Amino acid sequence: MTTYTFNIKHKLGILFVFLALVFPSDLLAQRMGHGGSRGGGRSASRPSASRAKPSTSRAKPSASRSSSSKRSINGGSKATKSRNFSKPKASTKRAATKPNASRKKTTTKRGNSTTGKNRKTSNVKNKKTNKVGNNNKVGNKTRVGNTNVNINVDKSRNTNIRNTRNTRVRGSSRNYNRAPYRYGGRGYYCHRPYFYHPYTPFYYGSYYHPWGYFVTTLATTAIIVAIVSDNDDDKNEEEYHYEEGTYYVKTADGFEAVQAPVGAQVPSIPKEAEKVEVNETNNYYYGGAFYEKNAEGYIVVPATAGTIVPNLPEGGEEVKIGDQTYVQFGETYYQPIEVDGKSMYEIVEIKEE
Amino acid sequence: MKKNVLLLPLLYISLFGYAQEVKDIDSTAIFLLDKMANVIGDLEAVSFDLENSTDKLDANKNIVKHYANSTISFSGPDKLSIRTEGTKGRSGFYYDGSYMSYYNYDENNYITLEAPESTLEMIDEMHTDYDFQFPAADFFYPTFTDDMMEQFTSIKFLGKKIIDDEECYHIMATNKDLNVQIWVSNKTFLLPKRFVIIYKNKSNLQVESTFSNWLLNPNIPDAVFDFLAPPNARLISILKKS
Repeated sequence: MTTYTFNIKHKLGILFVFLALVFPSDLLAQRMGHGGSRGGGRSASRPSASRAKPSTSRAKPSASRSSSSKRSINGGSKATKSRNFSKPKASTKRAATKPNASRKKTTTKRGNSTTGKNRKTSNVKNKKTNKVGNNNKVGNKTRVGNTNVNINVDKSRNTNIRNTRNTRVRGSSRNYNRAPYRYGGRGYYCHRPYFYHPYTPFYYGSYYHPWGYFVTTLATTAIIVAIVSDNDDDKNEEEYHYEEGTYYVKTADGFEAVQAPVGAQVPSIPKEAEKVEVNETNNYYYGGAFYEKNAEGYIVVPATAGTIVPNLPEGGEEVKIGDQTYVQFGETYYQPIEVDGKSMYEIVEIKEE
Repeated sequence: MKKNVLLLPLLYISLFGYAQEVKDIDSTAIFLLDKMANVIGDLEAVSFDLENSTDKLDANKNIVKHYANSTISFSGPDKLSIRTEGTKGRSGFYYDGSYMSYYNYDENNYITLEAPESTLEMIDEMHTDYDFQFPAADFFYPTFTDDMMEQFTSIKFLGKKIIDDEECYHIMATNKDLNVQIWVSNKTFLLPKRFVIIYKNKSNLQVESTFSNWLLNPNIPDAVFDFLAPPNARLISILKKS
């Protein structure tokens, strides 16, 4: 008998413990559910907030089919043309209910101030500005990593004209077997297929500086370079200073790094310069500039289409041209390619078509 | 002779005028297209999958096929997202009413541009300025049927056909350069099932798209249309077409 009562007590005790354990957990579950529903509530409240936008933005006429509280994906179907077939009844009905002005498109563009958001947008280039090289904002956004050489670079300075002239591309002497990539009335010719790899500027050592890099004084080792030019119109009135592969022009406050001027004669180039094949002859390549060896040293020559370079310096800009992404330096476009498993670039020849 | 000089242009005018007026347009086809356009026009949000094949000519004038599968979502008049996977790679397209972003998964770079206020204006602008392709976008213009009637000299209803076990109304529209065939599904709602565009003047190149998994008025959170760049993705520049 006693064992029986003990059993009852025991069972009651277990039941009590069970209930004590179960109820809080049940409450917790409800709270969790509530927590979940909080998220749901948020998601539910969001569309309603967006729905609360003024209905004036909708071009939908009052005579259209759906109620005014709805926001149709295209403002509602509109039919203005007469459906005057064998069933005149239907057509007159439609013509009467649909407005005439519905075909007119509004092309209002939203200003920056009204959006409320301030998002960083892509630099938009067009063919015209590209031609005169009016790209003050070269590479402002493309710098990822490599911050150690990016100090003191002021891209707003007007170095465009000089850089543009010195980045013009000479045509390739070889025929292209590959069809060009066509976009916007231009053909982008390359000998090798497009193979994308991200643009990571190559570090050319502490002497190398990208375009727009500004210094107040130059080292005593810097020399003034002579420009050898065949063309009188193309006379360089600027005085270029050269130091270990980087060219500077004098400004009011100091010196500013620029693209290597074509025709500049220098006694030596940095030892990091690499040999590249240009039109079946050898050129030297350093920091985005091409050199030809001569009796007095090295002379800067224009970039030649079809030249393959292993690295690109800082200061380039990745540009999406149709489906492809090129790296642009002034008027020189580099197409990412792959040579024997290595990421390289080929200079693109652009032809108007 | 003078009379002839006067008469000849008049004759031409009357002939041309006549030629423009004569359009072989079938009322059944227009009824079906109107119905479909009304259904689409009444949607507040929509999501669907699109299987797309596009012909392109290579340098030797051979036809090369490209395929892509996209998931497309519209919400309200100013939200659009497109996820595409195909032979040209993977990409995402996001438009939130203020900005549009195009993210290239393979290259891990993106562009972000200020965009017009409505989805359709945005589509127009992106296509004109940057050559972005929006397959099947035509169906989402409010004046779809009118545009068809304007552009084509003949629009015919060719009868009911079965596509993927769905009964469809087959419509063919033609003009000098194009042959467009549309299959409108008769399954519950009148929505497009498939369309083919044949460029008669360009070696009969074809663009074919098949719609599936229509979700009508889904409640899509606005955040879906906001593009957040992955941490290592690079914002790049873009060249305008002209």
